[in-house]
Amino acid sequence: MIRLVLRRLAAAAVLFLIVLTLTFAAVAGAPGDPLAPTDPRIPAEHAERLRALYGLDQPLPARYLRWLGAVLLSWDWGQSYQTGRPVSGLLFESLAPTLLLGGAALFAQYLLGIGLGLIAGRRPNSWLDLGVRGASLLVYALPTFWVGLMAVLVVGVGLGLAPTGGMTSAAAYELGPLPATLDVLAHLWLPALVLGLSMAGDIARYTRNSLIEFQTTDAGRAARARGLSENRILLVHGLAHAAPRLLQMAAVSAPLLLSGAIVAEAVFVWPGLGSTMLQAIQAGDVPVVLAATAYGAALVIAASLAADLLLVRLDPRIKAE
Amino acid sequence: MYDDSVPLLRRLAVAGLTAVVGWGCSSGAPRDTTRLTVGLRFDYPTPNELIGPPTLAYAAINDQMFLSLMQERGDFREGPPVWAPGLAEDWEFSEDRLKLTVRLRSDARWSDGEPVTAEDVRFTWLAQTDDDVAWGSSYVHEATLDVEVLDPHTVRFHFDAALPTVLADMSTGAILPRHAWEAQPFAEWRGDPDWFFDHLVTGGPFRLENRTPGSELVLGRNPGHFETDLPRLERVILRATPDSTALTNRLLAGELDVATGIAAADANRIDGQSGFRLLAYSNRQYTFVVWNTTRPWFEDAATRRALALAIDRQAIVDTIWHGYAKVGRSPVISGVWAHDPDLEPWPHDPDAARAALHEAGWMDADGDGILERGGRPFRFELATYTGAVSRWDAVQMIQADLRAVGIDAQPRRVEPSALTQRLQEQDFDAAASAFAIDTSLDFRPLFHSEGIGGFNFAAYANPEVDRLIESFATRADPLDGREDLHRLQRLLHDDQPMLVLWEPLSLAAFNDQLESVAPNALSPLANLKEWTWR
Repeated sequence: MIRLVLRRLAAAAVLFLIVLTLTFAAVAGAPGDPLAPTDPRIPAEHAERLRALYGLDQPLPARYLRWLGAVLLSWDWGQSYQTGRPVSGLLFESLAPTLLLGGAALFAQYLLGIGLGLIAGRRPNSWLDLGVRGASLLVYALPTFWVGLMAVLVVGVGLGLAPTGGMTSAAAYELGPLPATLDVLAHLWLPALVLGLSMAGDIARYTRNSLIEFQTTDAGRAARARGLSENRILLVHGLAHAAPRLLQMAAVSAPLLLSGAIVAEAVFVWPGLGSTMLQAIQAGDVPVVLAATAYGAALVIAASLAADLLLVRLDPRIKAE
Repeated sequence: MYDDSVPLLRRLAVAGLTAVVGWGCSSGAPRDTTRLTVGLRFDYPTPNELIGPPTLAYAAINDQMFLSLMQERGDFREGPPVWAPGLAEDWEFSEDRLKLTVRLRSDARWSDGEPVTAEDVRFTWLAQTDDDVAWGSSYVHEATLDVEVLDPHTVRFHFDAALPTVLADMSTGAILPRHAWEAQPFAEWRGDPDWFFDHLVTGGPFRLENRTPGSELVLGRNPGHFETDLPRLERVILRATPDSTALTNRLLAGELDVATGIAAADANRIDGQSGFRLLAYSNRQYTFVVWNTTRPWFEDAATRRALALAIDRQAIVDTIWHGYAKVGRSPVISGVWAHDPDLEPWPHDPDAARAALHEAGWMDADGDGILERGGRPFRFELATYTGAVSRWDAVQMIQADLRAVGIDAQPRRVEPSALTQRLQEQDFDAAASAFAIDTSLDFRPLFHSEGIGGFNFAAYANPEVDRLIESFATRADPLDGREDLHRLQRLLHDDQPMLVLWEPLSLAAFNDQLESVAPNALSPLANLKEWTWR
């Protein structure tokens, strides 16, 4: 197991290095000068001064080595062209909201998905089952941004059941710990639900199929023969049967959740990595784009690694070697 | 045990959900009339303007916390910019206008109680012109030789040329607190913008009370401000809201009292809603299509005039701007005193366009529906920026208009910095872009032949235009140059290096219980210190 962990960690590090290099090459090779003045009154020399300050007057290989060295040795991602702030601090601030939203969305995805899967799997081919399968296909097909916009309009603006965006209310810093937590949760539930909904269909379909399959296995028949209740058979033994694959699906959905978070953060004005990245792309803020892409890649690689290792741990049929 | 726990879990879940959803529900509590919540698109990475982003919203916020020497009034319709006292109590020029003596208010204090002095003004000039600080607007001090401290409340600016824009130039940029910020060497300023939050003292009507990076700034009344009855509001909460749709949603959900930067497409959601009033006010922008005169299709003015006749700008304005814009006539926009009111926009007349094109040598010899001249089809790329939604819509309408007269314009979206570079290098055929007019009306970068390779994207060169621009720049009183600018506009109208498509209006929505709001072309938060609840 230790050898497996070390081998996978080494592979993840190599993959991360490749992502860093490719991202740098893609951004450096893009046409245009993000530091060029957009105001006709600003002389061209101003851009030259900024280029020198940001080290852009150096040859490309030297810039790459300097950048990579700073990243790997001191996690220094440079300075934002747009704000002048250190990129690592900027992203640190936006990473926590994204992890919160992603985590809540994952929770919503599994809560909804397993719940609906249980309903459908309990009575296969019933109207409920057909309804769940149809609904899961529908939500899978609907674009997240559209669902998000509709949710904001109907639930936020129309019904007033949730704030229309942001992570906190105005001047929320004045609130005590419990009201502040409730305030964040009130802002969180709708975007998490919208983001989780888009992936819940997959979980529901898999849970349903897995439960139906479990009931035909020896373990399922044995559980029934022991006189266990239907709830216990499905909720405990059935879900245990489905768990390894469900975990793997969590890893698979990590990149989708991240890309979905970019959309959801834009719709719900959520101050996370996605919003930061979107603004950086629009403003041509190269250091932020580079770092946000790398952070995203690191999250996806870490999620995949964790899921693989958990799978080995949980499913005795999969050997570490 | 398993089954017994379900009701408890269910009860807890319902209670939790009720608390969370209940917290998020719109509140019916009475309004707190000491505070105001404003939504706008902004980024406020540092309170130091010299290293902050050069955006209108950033300047609008910083103006609430810092003072400049004089304040430019936001109306340019009647005459050149007018200056009201700010930190400066009064000022006078020497006879040759090479010296400007400015007397500062003696009652102005920084938020830590220290007086604002002439040393702060000199320190500000040193910072503004320092190479390491690399302030984007440092060009305003090109003619400044020195800033001399005469006494604690008097400074004298020395210039090597008598420019008509001196007051505008000397008022560009806020006065910085020397005693608080000189501890940080200029060379370190760009490397650590957060340092200025930790050492923040302000002199304007508001001070910074709290900030949540990327989301919110809370401005509080500055009790030490010399206008003792202002501001009228105790607290203004600025909520960063990145787009018009989100602004409108927040406003309609009651999360905002004011939303600035509403797009025309969202205006009808707000207009007519009880509780709000929508204000449309002029700004300094205009959108245009620039023709690259080094390309064979656009080398002659006759063809460019025909293009102006072929494009239905009124339809573009009606369709895209829903009445919140007007057809452009000139780069000296209609809200500016020097605009030539006798200038009539080119009408939409496809028949006249066809005739003019025919006269300019364009004919459809091969019968494919596309005109040719010298064997070259009239087919070109019409570029605009990615993310510029209204311009992209306009470009497609222009494509249809031009197709109707036998011209094949091929729309293309290009990443902003890449397109700017292509425009400056004349590596384009035609492009839709936008400028904000500089109230000093210095058109040297845009239309003077010296501007080719810079912002004279069209590579337009007309000796008479060069002469008029130079003539206006040397006028001590800009009003004396009105005829220069009228003549300049007529030449541009005839030569058509660019077709001005529209002049947009800015839109902002206000709670109708707010009084004294007067946004203007310079700032949506102009006179914020006077705003009050009814």
